[in-house]
Amino acid sequence: MTSLVSARNVSKHYGDVRAVDNVSFGIEKGKILGLIGPNGAGKTTLLKALLGLTDCDGELTVLGLDPFRQRKALMQQICFIADVAVLPRWIRVFQLLDFIESVHPNFSRTYAEELLARTKVRRGAKVRELSKGMVTQLHLSIITAIDAKLLVLDEPTLGLDILFRKEFYANLLNDYFDGERTILITTHQVEEIENLLTDIMFINEGKILLHASMESLPETYVELLTSGDNAVTARGLGPIHEHEVFGKNVMTFEGIDRSKLAELGELHTPSVADLFVAKIKGAEA
Amino acid sequence: MIAHQLTLIRREVWEHRSIWMTPLVIALIVSLLSLTGQVVVSGFDHAVDIAIVGASNIGENERRVAITAFLVGISLLFILAMQVLTVFYSLDALYAERKDKSILFWRSLPVTDAETVLSKLITAGLLIPIITFVAVVVTHVFNLVISSIWLSAQGGDAGHLIWSSVPLIDNWLATLIVFVALPLWMSPFLGWFLFVSSFTKRSPLLVAFLPILVVPMLERIILGTSIFSEAIFVRTGKMPLFHGMESADFFDEDKLTVSGEAISLLARIDLAGFLTSPSLWLGLVVCGLFTTAAIYMRRYREEG
Repeated sequence: MTSLVSARNVSKHYGDVRAVDNVSFGIEKGKILGLIGPNGAGKTTLLKALLGLTDCDGELTVLGLDPFRQRKALMQQICFIADVAVLPRWIRVFQLLDFIESVHPNFSRTYAEELLARTKVRRGAKVRELSKGMVTQLHLSIITAIDAKLLVLDEPTLGLDILFRKEFYANLLNDYFDGERTILITTHQVEEIENLLTDIMFINEGKILLHASMESLPETYVELLTSGDNAVTARGLGPIHEHEVFGKNVMTFEGIDRSKLAELGELHTPSVADLFVAKIKGAEA
Repeated sequence: MIAHQLTLIRREVWEHRSIWMTPLVIALIVSLLSLTGQVVVSGFDHAVDIAIVGASNIGENERRVAITAFLVGISLLFILAMQVLTVFYSLDALYAERKDKSILFWRSLPVTDAETVLSKLITAGLLIPIITFVAVVVTHVFNLVISSIWLSAQGGDAGHLIWSSVPLIDNWLATLIVFVALPLWMSPFLGWFLFVSSFTKRSPLLVAFLPILVVPMLERIILGTSIFSEAIFVRTGKMPLFHGMESADFFDEDKLTVSGEAISLLARIDLAGFLTSPSLWLGLVVCGLFTTAAIYMRRYREEG
């Protein structure tokens, strides 16, 4: 497999703060990777580095390019929607399409118009006249019509209601993702994207806590629901995290043989959100 | 590359509608003033008749000077408006996209920071002057036409009194040269404004003008010199584009007549002198440095 993104010992400091602290990873083609971390974990900094919006230390290549120094070439092949990269409020929809059509070699105006025709976004409307949901539809339509190898989404559905959020991800999968393209996505509403991810990456305090495929999670992680003496026994097996729900103990184990736990209680594969909490809390403990 | 630039410049016109609104408003005001003047003056029948007779009897040269002065007056109004527009535009050019947070969207497209900043420099230094110049020409023609209609209605011979006396081409060529040369001469300010707009967090106007006021004072107090204020003063003073002109050269005080020399504006322009002026080139270098700094700021500055 070819690595689309390759990071080796990448760091980014702001004064004494290590926003990204010596991370190494690769992202392969055709993946939908969820980048998950608490606020201030370094997600946005890492994305900015990948997008060439900030310089960083270490070796970082995206599509074989140095993102910071070859931003223009890179931007022909990658797209991003970020909560902080909003569309200019003064621009009209057709002006936006005109502009992108003439600066972006991989933009299909026809396709963008087709996608927009499904929405209520009028061609002559100014962005400031559109609702937040419509602006996101507009942005996604544009991005979808760009034949990009990598799409980066940073909290793309922030502030949208549930209908728009569902529709956003449905459109993303139906119109954009074709197995050839790669998506990197961050969001706090991890439950909503769990089913579409192929890979996850947890990041906290600038470090990567976990980078795994969704398929591998059931093999590595297991959640045990237990109580009483069984809980004591289970605790002896070294869970990475434990919490209580309705008087029962919920323990998360990593790299353990499921048969060892089978008689101690109910076993589940933890949800991404639960696993995230377990990894973060576990790392802090 | 050029197609790219044109797209970027078109974007500037979309965003900053004042680029064409300002000249349009000035054109409307000038034309309205001129119409109002004609309506008011028309009330004084007798005086108007005398004036027309007077205008018919003065010499050809004097009439030309009078009409040229009228046209130049209009051009000066536009130049004034253009200067103000350029200051506001260039201070907003790299500031607005940061204020409305659209900068990261723009930077998500395959356009370099240098291309973007350059498009803003071209807009301020070339597009605004060209649009304003077109507005000047249109306003000139419009006002000469309505003046002719008015004059004919009053029984004057507009063809003779106005059109045969207007050195229009000479006037417009000279005006065009001034409109192109002025931004080049003022380019260090333009560069400075773009630079300020690329880094300031708030009130670009204040940040841009405060140093121009404070630095000369500090220099005087601390160093006892006034190099900075002289540099500013020279720049905002006379452009080396014009030949010196002594009134005695063309104005005969005894006969109260002007010589033909006074009529041509083009003859007053010293293009060679302008282009060989070290001040011009020094100014362009300063502009280049500030522009480079603005590109650097856009590239390295992090928002959020």
